Parts: sequence; structure tokens; C-alpha cells
Amino acid sequence: ASPLGSRAKMRICADGGANRIFDEMSQMTNDLDRNRYIPEIVEGDMDSIRPEVKRFYSSQGSKISDKSHNQETTDLHKCISSIRHRTPDHEKANLCVLVTGALGGRFDHEAANINVLYVFSDMRIVLLSDDCLIQLLPKTHHHEIYIESSVEGPHCGIFPIGAPSTSTTTTGLKWNLSDAEMRFGSMISTSNIVDSDKVTVQSDADLLWTISLRNLT
Amino acid sequence: MPPLPTMTHSSSFLLPSSSPPAPPTGADAENAVSYAVVVLNQRLPRFAPLLWTRARLRVCADGGANRVFDGMPDLLPGEDPDEVRVRYKPDAIEGDMDSVRPEVKEYYSSLGTQIIDDSPDQDTTDLNKCISFITRNPPGPDNSNLFILVLGALGGRFDHEMGNINVLHRFSNTRIILLSDDSSIFLLPKTHSHEIHIERSVEGPHCGLIPMGAPSSSSTTTGLRWNLDNTSMNFGGLLSTSNIVEEEIVTVTSDSDLIWTISLRKHT
Repeated sequence: ASPLGSRAKMRICADGGANRIFDEMSQMTNDLDRNRYIPEIVEGDMDSIRPEVKRFYSSQGSKISDKSHNQETTDLHKCISSIRHRTPDHEKANLCVLVTGALGGRFDHEAANINVLYVFSDMRIVLLSDDCLIQLLPKTHHHEIYIESSVEGPHCGIFPIGAPSTSTTTTGLKWNLSDAEMRFGSMISTSNIVDSDKVTVQSDADLLWTISLRNLT
Repeated sequence: MPPLPTMTHSSSFLLPSSSPPAPPTGADAENAVSYAVVVLNQRLPRFAPLLWTRARLRVCADGGANRVFDGMPDLLPGEDPDEVRVRYKPDAIEGDMDSVRPEVKEYYSSLGTQIIDDSPDQDTTDLNKCISFITRNPPGPDNSNLFILVLGALGGRFDHEMGNINVLHRFSNTRIILLSDDSSIFLLPKTHSHEIHIERSVEGPHCGLIPMGAPSSSSTTTGLRWNLDNTSMNFGGLLSTSNIVEEEIVTVTSDSDLIWTISLRKHT
């Protein structure tokens, strides 16, 4: 998380995500100074963040964006909305939102977080865990995925979570798809292997792309 | 159109062994339910020993055998590790054997565990192979009341998780429940109307219904805080997540296969 944090232009904690930064960031970086890891914004319904953590970040200049009146959307949804709102139009095309902590844990939370990729399909959002990353490949585009083999791979997969695909074609994988059908209940591409520096995907359905992350010590 | 047949669901297998399991409901009353356990290659959930003891057949998928070897003694700290390992011996270890440690495989093999060496296969995951094995070798006379409990199916590599959920769809006639420390998930096939009996002492209140793989144009529920009423659900639109179980029986009917998920209580 620390390399991502230092590269980002904007860092937002979704509610209890602030507790995680407060407790864990200094352990991971051997840095006792919490002042180096201050989010610009803490956003959400504020039912998980500890009061002392909220006070600390508020005193350090973080904007506390209390959206507890809105129970219709998840904390991640609120954060993505907020980022989109604060990003000038001319910067939107080059913006990539990196999300940590979206996977694992409660399955309904995971599904809701994946749904955020579909709801905000015009934004680049990457969900990250220790083991893998996930991104949406909208059907509106032909996709070129450049593989950084020092940090990711070789295990990968492609899934038609929202609706089946009648035709998907890939290059750069060990088991490429060629105008193939994919559907839950039948064939989906799991345990595939990246076989090239560049993977291409084209499909008639929105697809989720996942690739494993290497253990970086 | 005739009404859909009803399928009932219960998590009574998660109740501690000191309390008797809930009496079987409906058709299950005539034929006692039996359980099989599959262990995949992730850290064992805290209730692994309980489910293992309840099961009549226990299969490890490849590195799942390492998890049992290392993890069962950890979950039973008051007991002698060697005795625990002998007691919690899998009936079979299935997979391509590239994750199970050689000494673990040797150890269980010498105790009589069947070792089934499958070459890696693009079309089927380790879980898929284990389910096939269990359906071909059921612990009882048939599979009609067999429930397959899968440990370690969620979290970890996302492509594995998706492959495991796809197993629920591919074996939609088999009762398979995926379990982690945090959640339980199973398929609600569109061919049936569903009654889910909630064991409040071990599960809930957080729950959800997810149309995985195809949208649902109409789902209806009872027993939830935010019930669906002929409501459509799809990725990109509404999913029922962070819902709350309000009654002891939740009912669901849908025009699409749905994944039901419920949170598991921490002290389970």
C-alpha cells in the first residue's frame, strides 16, 4: 500500500479504512510518523471509523465527508463519486483509481465493490488485494493489457459476471479464446496463464479481468 | 404455470455439537441429511473441526491437505498434534499434486488416504474434480440428501474464487455450500422457490442476493429488511447487498439463478 500511496494524487479512506491506515501503515513502512500518511479525504457513513482516528486526521487537515444520511450506496461507491466529482474533466481520461481492501471479507461487500466497477464503467478503477487485481473490460472497447511480469502474473482469468458472452477473443494467453462463448454454468476462463507481454481482449459482454500479484518482499 | 417446487435450506451443520441439530424439515425428514467436506488450499476457518466431525466423507484438494495437516492441530490447541492428525485424516486427496508437500502426502497415504493424481486440466478446477469424485463415490446410498461443505473456496486468488462459484452453477442439482470465516454462500436455482431457515445463533444478520452470470428481471423475497418485490437485479444496477435478515425464514423466488450469501457470526 505504501508505494501506491506515495504515487497517488489523492488519497481517500472509506470510513474504517482510516483505522487501517492509522494502525497498519507505520508498521508496514517502519515509519513511526503517522503524519506522512494523511488522507486528503475520509468519506462514508462513519459507523466504523474510531472517534480518535477521525479526530487525528481531522486535526491533520483531512476533509471529513460524512455521508451517513445516504444509506443507499456503499462507502466505496461514495468515494468513487467523490473522486469523479473532484476531478476536472480534462484529467478524467488519465485518472486511475486504485482501491485496496475491496476483496475478501464479507462476500456481499465484495460483490457490491465489484458492482462499483460496472456502475462507474467509464472510469478506470482497479481493485487490489495481496493476491490479485481486478479490472473491468467494458464491451465497448478492444483491450490491450500490458503485463508487468516483475510484479504480476502468471495466473489470470476473465469472467462474464454480469451477463454471458457469446463471443470473446483473446491473444497473449496460454489458452486463448477464439470467438468463444463464456457463461456461468458453463465455461469461464480461470487458472489461465499470461504468455506474452501484452494480452488483448475483445468481447460482446463486459468482462472482469484478474491477474495474480507476485509476492513482493 | 404450475407453482415451482420448494427447496429448503438450513445451516444447522454450523451449530455446535453440544446442541442437537435442528430436526430435518420437509422431504429431508424421511432421509437423514449427510455431509461431505472438501478442503481447498486456504487457511482453515475456525469451525473446520466441527464440520469435519459431522461429515461422512472428507476430501482435500491438493494443497488443502497441507492446511489440514498444519491447521487442525492449531485449531485444537489443547490436544496432542499427532493424535489430531490421525483423527482428522482425509479419505482422499485429489488434484495435480503440485501444492501438497511430499511429506504430507506420504503421511496421509501411509494412513490409508486415497491419493488421486489428476493432471492439470483447463476445463475443470480442483473443486470441480473433488465434487465429481464425491458424486461418483457418495458416502450414503445416494446423493439426494448429500450436502457438500467447501472450506477455503472464498478469498485468495480471485480466479479461483470465480471458478469455485462456477462450480455451484455447473453442479446446480447438487447441494454445495462455500464457507469462509466471514460468509456462507450457495446457489438458489431458478427452477425452485426457496425457503432459507436462518440459524441466528451462528449466522446473520448481514445477507445478500447476487445474480452471478446473468441478470434477473424479477426476484421476490420475504423475511428481509429490504425485500425484493418483482425487482430486477443486475451488475451495473441493483444488487441486494448489505441486506438484513429479519425473520427466521427467508423466502426467495427468481427468474434467474441467484447466489445467496449470509455473514457468519464471529464466535461460530
